Amino acid sequence: MNPLDRLWGSFPAFLMARRNVARAKTRSALAVAVILIGVVAIGAIGAGGVAFQASQFETLGSIGADVQVFAGEDNENGYLTAADVGRIDRVSGQAEIVPLKQESADVVRGGSTAGSATLYGVEEPSALYEVREGSIPANWRKGVLVGSTLADRYDLRPGSKVTLRRTVTEDGETVRRTEEYRVTAVLAQGGQADIANPNEAFVLPPGEFDDDAFAQVIVRSEDATAANETAMEIKRTFNGRRELVSVFERGDIAEQIDEAFRLINLFLVGIGAISLVVAGVSIANVMLMSAIERREEIGVLRAVGYQKLDIVRIMLAEATLLGVVGSLLGGAVTLGVVAVINDALLGDPFAFPAGSLQYVAAGMVFGVIASLLAGIYPAWTAARERPVEALRG
Amino acid sequence: MAGSEDMGADDTDADEGTTRPVIAGHDVVKEYVTGGETVRALRGIDFRVDPGEFVAIVGPSGSGKSTLLNMLGLLDVPTSGLVELNGVDVETFGDAERTRKRKETIGFVFQSFHLIPTLTAVENVEVPRLLDRTPRKTRETATDLLERMGLGDRVAHYPDELSGGQKQRVAIARALVNEPRLLLADEPTGNLDRDTGDQILAEFDAITDEGVAVVTVTHDDYVAQSADRVVNLIDGTVREDEEAVTG
Repeated sequence: MNPLDRLWGSFPAFLMARRNVARAKTRSALAVAVILIGVVAIGAIGAGGVAFQASQFETLGSIGADVQVFAGEDNENGYLTAADVGRIDRVSGQAEIVPLKQESADVVRGGSTAGSATLYGVEEPSALYEVREGSIPANWRKGVLVGSTLADRYDLRPGSKVTLRRTVTEDGETVRRTEEYRVTAVLAQGGQADIANPNEAFVLPPGEFDDDAFAQVIVRSEDATAANETAMEIKRTFNGRRELVSVFERGDIAEQIDEAFRLINLFLVGIGAISLVVAGVSIANVMLMSAIERREEIGVLRAVGYQKLDIVRIMLAEATLLGVVGSLLGGAVTLGVVAVINDALLGDPFAFPAGSLQYVAAGMVFGVIASLLAGIYPAWTAARERPVEALRG
Repeated sequence: MAGSEDMGADDTDADEGTTRPVIAGHDVVKEYVTGGETVRALRGIDFRVDPGEFVAIVGPSGSGKSTLLNMLGLLDVPTSGLVELNGVDVETFGDAERTRKRKETIGFVFQSFHLIPTLTAVENVEVPRLLDRTPRKTRETATDLLERMGLGDRVAHYPDELSGGQKQRVAIARALVNEPRLLLADEPTGNLDRDTGDQILAEFDAITDEGVAVVTVTHDDYVAQSADRVVNLIDGTVREDEEAVTG
């Protein structure tokens, strides 16, 4: 008796199941194929959804644990003062704060207005932005940083000059002032959801702006929980009856987007799961046919001393075997499909995002469970028959 | 069969000095309802099978032979009357218990062999013990039995690679693998030529010598003539007249 025979001898139900599966090859192959499709449907839709979500977050930009503080509707200034910024800094504790000035300007080319752009005034641009070309001087007092879209539009590079016409207040009077700036760096493209998105903006040293007028303060916390605590603390400090500041928690949005993606994914996986239900029905059908075909054989087994539950076990082993084979093949195919999706959406076939492989595993597990469940009724039907009737043919 | 040579002696009742039957029936009635009509397949018969006995049940079609064989094989229970296996009323057994008794006590040889086509000869012989989780011992017993049946060179063959006689001998080996006390054979020579039939009958002789009771249903006079005792069943009753009706 060779070792393989001995191994099968230890699992007699599976020995019989394996032989029976091999007996009706085409039928078994079709049943396996149906399971395979179901597993691929669940796995590929789920893992593909995760890849899609990851790719969307890449475009949206990092939505971290940021809190944005603006002037509230009851704030008479309409902006945050240096004193406000100081208080926010104190309240925020360890968290890094980035005060941001903001106004708009016209881009002047060849003496006439070529378009408009946003101007940001930031003390430490490296806290917010990454550089594509050039560099931000350590002691940043002059020069301008250009967003990638504007740089491409106006063909600006580090060293080139740009003329901006701004509206400023001088001695209580509003005047138009045209100034030329030298570009020190072109910023990397930011995501759509980035705070103070630089793509269509120029970034200037805060000294170029009126003192004491900040459009917003960004508070960068460790995580969403810390961000939430900071937001509450800021509101408590500033807002009594009047809303002097409005606080915008980015964590909330991140959570909402996450939740939306999760629901959409769940819905899609649900649709995929229907195909496994269909697979289950198909397995049930295969098993019923098998039970009917082998009626006499099962009668013989019952006659020679197999209990009803033994018959159930043999039939379930058969259904499980179909499910396991289908799920293993399905899992392999799914990994291939997901690799293609990853390549298309994330640019790397093996960049499986977190949770991606869980869907593949879940598809496989459901494949086996669906087969097992589908086998129960045919197995019980086969086991229940009286051996006398079955042997009569 | 190893260890079963003195089976007959074991069953001797010391007090009365008589042999206890393997299976016995008293006033056994079996009725079926088919198409709203009640058919009395057995009309109150008595029977007993002693260890080592070769009994042939003969009778025309529809006389109740198969019903009786099913009763002996615990595949069916009587409508009324008493069937005792080793002195115990089979009515007291539930389905699981009856199935276990079948496995322990009774070997079946079916009319059309009923071998499992996906299993080899030796695996078919192993079938009744396949779930016992003693693969090595079962394999040894099964191989021994096949060698004894002259099929030592056919152990790895599938049923469709065997002749009718070979299949029947595999079926007999399967019936013996659990060392039964009672072997039931339905038309064991039905599809076989005379030579092969002779081999089967010789086999039955050898089995009965070991104390195993053999009960066969047959249309074949030749088989009936080899039996120790012939039970002539007509219309569900045992006819005591000497001449067997085998048509």
